[in-house]
Amino acid sequence: MANTRDLKNRIESIKNTKQITNAMKMVAASKLRKSQDKIINARPYANYIDVMLRTLKMRNKSNLHQILNDKIENKKEILVIVTADRGLCGAFNALIIKEALHYLKDKSEVDLICIGKKGYDFFKKTEYKIIEKYLGLFNEMDFTSSKSIAWNMLDRFMNKEYGKINVLFNEFKSVIQNNIVIKQILPIIPNESDVVNGTDFIYEPDENTIVEELGRKYVDVELWRMLLESSAAEQGSRMTAMDNATENASDLIDHLTLQYNRVRQASITTEIIEIASGAEAIKQ
Amino acid sequence: MISLKIIEPTKSPIDDQFEHVIVPGVDGDFGVYEGHTPFITKIRPGVLTLYTGKKNQTVKYAIHDGFVMVDNKSIKIISECVESKQDLDEKRAQEAKNRAEKRLNSSNADLDYKRAEMALKRAVARLKVLHE
Repeated sequence: MANTRDLKNRIESIKNTKQITNAMKMVAASKLRKSQDKIINARPYANYIDVMLRTLKMRNKSNLHQILNDKIENKKEILVIVTADRGLCGAFNALIIKEALHYLKDKSEVDLICIGKKGYDFFKKTEYKIIEKYLGLFNEMDFTSSKSIAWNMLDRFMNKEYGKINVLFNEFKSVIQNNIVIKQILPIIPNESDVVNGTDFIYEPDENTIVEELGRKYVDVELWRMLLESSAAEQGSRMTAMDNATENASDLIDHLTLQYNRVRQASITTEIIEIASGAEAIKQ
Repeated sequence: MISLKIIEPTKSPIDDQFEHVIVPGVDGDFGVYEGHTPFITKIRPGVLTLYTGKKNQTVKYAIHDGFVMVDNKSIKIISECVESKQDLDEKRAQEAKNRAEKRLNSSNADLDYKRAEMALKRAVARLKVLHE
């Protein structure tokens, strides 16, 4: 049986681990709050751009701008994989990678853009071509950096280098539930949810310019929203993972404390027996 | 009165009623009162002026890009960057203006003319809001 000192050391070290996991849980909770606030702020902006694009698409069915035209000729496509930069967040990264592999299985002309270190680390070892990687983005999330990624994607799309761009990311549902989705970001498919009023607008300078500029903004804000969703989902899963870890540590500490006491008592009992039997021996 | 919404991706929206609004469009500034014809246009860097309706009282913002959508009861401004007087720093704006002017006056061949010009326009818009 282990001696008391070893057990004591183990209990101490598990207590330290518990403190760390608990702190990580708190940090994740506060970061989750921040991402959620940002999502709420981005929502109306995305909605209005969507409404404007939909109105434009309705009006002009025959001669659609490239950015809205979903009849794709170029078969080459990009899959943008959004993972986290760090681990310790449960199955978050593994699930996305699994889904990505599933998607790539029966496609031949797909190149990758990796956002997040975990996805990049995995896919750089595979035969898929990574055309762009963005690491360490989630530490300090701002709209400008998301915008530069969107611009890069838009350039490749507008140059007709690629015909389609999909984004694979983790949509935030709740702290315990995430939802992995693949969403097409280019060409743009505006949401068809609510009815557009038939107002005929006057456009300045002209319709095509407006469509293109609006489309660009749409991609900017959609990507931003996806990154925020992914970041919220990551923090959510980290929160649950760390909560479980903290709980496990508590269980382990209870168990070890019990064992420690048992060992301590056993050694006291042995000592008493030794003294008693020694005294017996002297008497005789 | 016309209802105005200013929507930005990183801030919560501004939503208020105004008597009329003057917006810097790409093809020139235009004023919007209630009952304006439905209209969509791009914004150029400039000053957005809102008339509250009380003794010509105005609220001014520096605005740098975006779109306006007008229908007869409301005006919606979608922009990535709208700054009020409190958000601005005079020294920084002045420096940015000087920098942009210097770049425009230099005879550098690979000068990104459009970018420098936009920077200058933005700085001028900021200074105008500050000097109200």
